[in-house]
Amino acid sequence: MLIQVETLDDLAAGSVFLGTGGGGDPYLNTLIARRILAEHGPVELLPPAELADDAFVVGIGGVGAPSAGLELLPAARQCAHALRQFEAHVGRKVDALVAVEVGGANSLIPIVAAAVRGLPVVDGDGMGRAFPEAQMTTFSIGGIPSTPSVAVDYEGGSELFLQAAALDFERAIRQFALSHGGVVIATEHPMSGSQLKRTIVPGTMTFAIELGRTLRQRSGRAERISPHLREVFAGSIYGEFRHLHSGKIVDVSSRTVGGYDTGRVTIRSFDDAQALEIDIRNEFLVARRDGQLLASVPDLITIVDYETAVPINAERLRYGQRVTVFGIGCPPYYRTERALAAVGPRSFGFDFDYRPLEQLSEGVA
Amino acid sequence: MRIGIDVGGTHTDAVLLHGREVVAAHKSLTSANVSDGILEALTRILDAAGIETARIEAVMLGTTQFTNAIVERRELGNVAAIRIALPSGAELPPMMGWPDDVAAALGGHVYMLPGGHLYDGRPLAPFDDTLADAAIRDCQHKHLKTFAVSSAFAPMNPEPELKMAEKIRRAIPDARITLSHEIGRLGILERENAALFNAGLLGFADRVVDSFQAALRTHGLNCPFFISQNDGTLMSAEFVRRFPALTFASGPTNSLRGAAQLTGRQDAIVVDIGGTTTDIGVLQHGFPRQSNQAIEVGGVRTNFRMPDILSIGLGGGSLVQDGGARIGPRSTGYRLLQQGLIFGGDTLTATDIVVADGAARIGNPVLVTSLDRALIERAKQTITDTLNDGIERMKPNSEPVPVILVGGGAVLVTQSIAAASEVLRPQHAHVANAIGAAIAQIGGEADRLVSFKTRTREQARQALTDEAVRRAVNAGADPATIRVVDIEETALGYMNESGARLKVKVVGEIAVLAGKQTQC
Repeated sequence: MLIQVETLDDLAAGSVFLGTGGGGDPYLNTLIARRILAEHGPVELLPPAELADDAFVVGIGGVGAPSAGLELLPAARQCAHALRQFEAHVGRKVDALVAVEVGGANSLIPIVAAAVRGLPVVDGDGMGRAFPEAQMTTFSIGGIPSTPSVAVDYEGGSELFLQAAALDFERAIRQFALSHGGVVIATEHPMSGSQLKRTIVPGTMTFAIELGRTLRQRSGRAERISPHLREVFAGSIYGEFRHLHSGKIVDVSSRTVGGYDTGRVTIRSFDDAQALEIDIRNEFLVARRDGQLLASVPDLITIVDYETAVPINAERLRYGQRVTVFGIGCPPYYRTERALAAVGPRSFGFDFDYRPLEQLSEGVA
Repeated sequence: MRIGIDVGGTHTDAVLLHGREVVAAHKSLTSANVSDGILEALTRILDAAGIETARIEAVMLGTTQFTNAIVERRELGNVAAIRIALPSGAELPPMMGWPDDVAAALGGHVYMLPGGHLYDGRPLAPFDDTLADAAIRDCQHKHLKTFAVSSAFAPMNPEPELKMAEKIRRAIPDARITLSHEIGRLGILERENAALFNAGLLGFADRVVDSFQAALRTHGLNCPFFISQNDGTLMSAEFVRRFPALTFASGPTNSLRGAAQLTGRQDAIVVDIGGTTTDIGVLQHGFPRQSNQAIEVGGVRTNFRMPDILSIGLGGGSLVQDGGARIGPRSTGYRLLQQGLIFGGDTLTATDIVVADGAARIGNPVLVTSLDRALIERAKQTITDTLNDGIERMKPNSEPVPVILVGGGAVLVTQSIAAASEVLRPQHAHVANAIGAAIAQIGGEADRLVSFKTRTREQARQALTDEAVRRAVNAGADPATIRVVDIEETALGYMNESGARLKVKVVGEIAVLAGKQTQC
């Protein structure tokens, strides 16, 4: 499959949906990608199986604060620079790029970098959604080091990261982002074709495009397009799809703790009878209605506009918005014990174990 | 007493209000020379009411002229787009992603300079006086006199924009300048777009305000006048000269507010049926429900506040096809008066159906007596189904809601609507827009990134509230009536603990109506 200019809006919309609140607004990166693809031609989306076992692949994406990204604008040059610096350090050219997370803006960045260099992008990513930290990628969980990694800031300044432990790398690169304008572009998780095939969440880029297309074509009230979305997810690695709740946002409380946007959104049903609360740590983590658990990480919780089903990023939630909340099963990989240790509710500080979406009580009919 | 005037693309409406009561109302066609239409509307209502102009305390105007100028790419002046944010944004220059003809209408003059700030308040890059002066010299060379200046994180620190403005004024004393921090919130591209539109409209704003003022003077109306804004609040005339872009989408807003005033309802669906389209909006606590979406004006992304409006292709002039199974979106539009059957034409329209049904007396009913009864019934059902579907999409929950019908096409509604708990057809519904303009309030907003390191959360909130109040007062609000309607706090994702983005919105009565003196 080729990523063309015409594909970008669908990819962006689907990626915000899968981003579960995080990943950043893809609008600016879509504008850049449109220009870059017009100039350099389409980008090939390569199924993981078609990648040679000895191919050299690296992940690329943005690290930092979505809010800072509203004013500090992205650049294709920054992506190309990060890649060049990385290659200079390892002394080898990469054969393909891969998205670290198929979430918001971070789905577009590999496309931009690949177009400039004429490289393919592997169809898949290291999360199947968005998560806040590097050690939560399937790459890290699968034992692939995050480093060597190169991050580039808005001035073109770069930094090399060589930490062995994923957690140490995460701390170091976040500090770099914080002190260099709030958002940086980073290459991370260099790996071989065989390592990638073993750990990637496959097919998520094409799935995001399909999802975006469905959202565009079926545009309308969220509960009306639910059956179409259910159909799209049923045939995917995600499986379960549930309409959890619809209502009006009556409270958004959010503060930044330990470098994370930690907060809660309360959505009161239109008949005022029930309230759904969603805990946020950059992404939407846990959904509870009147105390009863409806969904939790690593399953996906997505908030969309009630009228148009357009997905909404966490930083754009506002008092008074009318929204619908969907719960979606996570890729099976995340339901293994090993993965849950990195991305389950307890890894985010919640005092309960993960229970799959389909074992929890239903949302609304 | 107050006069409300709404200048739409097709009609100019005027009302005279005494308190909440409509004393006189008039609807006329918008003239090519807008001021003539206003003059005529004023003459009609003042004559009808038979009152002295001295008793008029204020005139409120709603106008779609500025929106139409952007949509139709006319009346726009050349603008120098100056952005201070390099090295950031070099690949996303001003007007990127705009339709070519809109960018061309503003002249496409783009200057990018180093400077601006980062999220944490540190400089993004040093401001370069030499480059700034060179840009201004180039503008002088091109005889550019209108400027839109933006800089990174200007809502947090506007200093680079202010510095640039000062330089421009020194070099070009009669320059007209819009600074992005004065018109938009975080999101540099959307804010810059808003500033560019605003700057492009500055010349037209002078002409519009001048012609309004001339029309009022002709009638001896020396009272202050205000122009309505997209959120249902008002701006003084002098404010509109500086910020004409804030009038965008005020038409639907006024129609919604007018419907609230006419019925006393605070929560309802308002269905405004015109000649070609029906606009469906939602009243929440007496104000229009705002859209969740990024708003495009003339194909350009902006961050203006806009009402959430569903436009469907059904109006009085809509074509009836397929034996009544399909109505609209094609319409005779303003040619209804020539093409409709009841006016002697040969096109079957939605209006013909209701006249044939005996539900309305318009044109010559004899001309539709031969219409097939089954067709009439099917067409009526199609109209009802289409409206019901639209109302369903907009109403806040599954319960039926009160529906207020306004606009000239309200006659199309002849059957009960399932989604409506009741259908209200208030008197004077045809001039709801002008009434909405007459009763609008004045608002003020402040939107900043704040650090809780240097001051407490409470202090930060207070500082922002003060700023919002100051803005409302500058726009003509009575300080004594101002209340806070919204406080929004957004922590910066992935960041340190000590900062947040705060937004405060306040609303107050117009000073002149509260018996106070205003600045204008």
